[in-house]
Amino acid sequence: MVSDLLLTPIIQHIVLAYTALLVSIALGIPLAILALYSRNLQTFVMTSANLMQAVPTLAVVAIVVPLIGIGFWPAIVAIILRALLPIIRNTWIGLSSVDPAIIASAEGLGLSEWEIIRYVRLPNAYPAIFAGVKFAAILANSVAILTAMIGSGGLGSLVFEGLAGVNMMKMLSGALPAIGIALFLDASFSWMERRMVPRSGQSELE
Amino acid sequence: MTKRFGETVAVDRISLDIIGGELLILIGGSGSGKTTTLRMINRLIEPDEGTIAINGIDIRTIDGIVLRKNIGYVIQQIGLFPHMTIRENIGLLPTIEGWSREEIDSRVTELLTLVHLPPDQFMDRYPKELSGGQQQRVGLARALVMNPPLLLMDEPFGALDPLLRRQLQDEFIGIKEDIGKTIVFVTHDINEAFRLGDRIAIMHEGGIVQLGTPRDLILNPADKMVSDLVGSDRLFEHIASLTVSDMMVPASSIISGEMPVQSAIEVMVQSGSTVAVVRDRAASFFVAQLPTLLQRRDEVKTVLEATDPPFFLSMDASLLSALEEMKAASASFGLVMEDGEPAGLLLPDDLISRLV
Repeated sequence: MVSDLLLTPIIQHIVLAYTALLVSIALGIPLAILALYSRNLQTFVMTSANLMQAVPTLAVVAIVVPLIGIGFWPAIVAIILRALLPIIRNTWIGLSSVDPAIIASAEGLGLSEWEIIRYVRLPNAYPAIFAGVKFAAILANSVAILTAMIGSGGLGSLVFEGLAGVNMMKMLSGALPAIGIALFLDASFSWMERRMVPRSGQSELE
Repeated sequence: MTKRFGETVAVDRISLDIIGGELLILIGGSGSGKTTTLRMINRLIEPDEGTIAINGIDIRTIDGIVLRKNIGYVIQQIGLFPHMTIRENIGLLPTIEGWSREEIDSRVTELLTLVHLPPDQFMDRYPKELSGGQQQRVGLARALVMNPPLLLMDEPFGALDPLLRRQLQDEFIGIKEDIGKTIVFVTHDINEAFRLGDRIAIMHEGGIVQLGTPRDLILNPADKMVSDLVGSDRLFEHIASLTVSDMMVPASSIISGEMPVQSAIEVMVQSGSTVAVVRDRAASFFVAQLPTLLQRRDEVKTVLEATDPPFFLSMDASLLSALEEMKAASASFGLVMEDGEPAGLLLPDDLISRLV
């Protein structure tokens, strides 16, 4: 069945991209928060994040193989290496660009560091964080196609097999769902952003 | 206490007693150490030397966060949280402390009413929908939410235009009476200091040059800087804060009512005064004026016969109201009494020459 042939790669693709994305969020946001309080960590995180951006995606995928081999988990690592950057950088910018007067008044009120992050910095950083996560999701989606080369399976396999066998139908059956997922991601994140970002919480980033 | 930033001494060995319930002004130019002093009180800045105690308890023994939750703090930039409604801004600390929604709503309503913002109109608006003056009122309400006994204010009205600033000062005077808190208030505006302050500490280069009531500073400036700052040479500007006792001429000698007119004239001429206090046998007081005595010296024998009934004033009456009363009574001078004895005379001619 054609639908079965397509369904498995689509599910593989989504599991791949979303697992990597969720891990990136779970790592990226706490790292960005910690970077607020440690100058060294801040420099390290931002430099390495920027460095990863400079390396071509294909090279990121390739470099993973000699380090941890091929298959599903190496593919996840490759996607995380790509998706972590926009999340960390946007979260850090969002958290650190809060008006100093607002932080000063929060300190003066007697909020603890954690309460300032929880009630002041994070809400003010939501727009930036959402923008970062949205961008990371779209990156994850596209890297998840490339990782088929290192045996992650998913829609990328269809694309590469289609390319290798000059099978246009097969190639499109991989590419079109990937494009559809990308558009869906973009739309759903935009929707969530409108729902969750408070009405007057625009930061300077917008 | 002393605070250094690198090589710079921001606050140099100052010592300050704040009296419960008073509004103490810290005034000075930029770099005088006034804000640093204020921020040491709630441990936003730690002093390098010395101690600060509140009700006898060294504040270093209290956790900074706990301390600040119990000290209200208002800054010039206000710093309302832009993503929260007015209700959420004021209710943030109570929320963290675990108050119920009803308790928070009733406290917010109470505070908004106190700062003259109709609660039903403002509760659910966002800070940027409010004018600067309204935002600063919310800032004050937010600082008062945990009912702190001490309130620190760092140039709260500094960013407002003069008209609005004056209006908020007036309102604040009323609010201050209502809440009865100890307030330390930083400003660089001497007029604001005089309007609001019970006592004023003048700071310069990290030290306190002089600390006193507005009247102390005007009448006894410690040095040229203070006298320039408060305008001691332009007393008329401060007429509203002066009392009768500040401007009276002390009653040097009291003439007995039976003294012959001629001797009384000699006594007055000798002492160089044109008005003298006269006491009769019943220990009632009268006032004799030199011109009247001269005019009538042939008609009358004793001073008492040529005296006028005095217009009595009390020592601590405000100068302005005393002058108004004298004007209403067409009195040309006032006899200032203290504990039933004459303490001095208020002479308009002399007053004008001292005011201007």
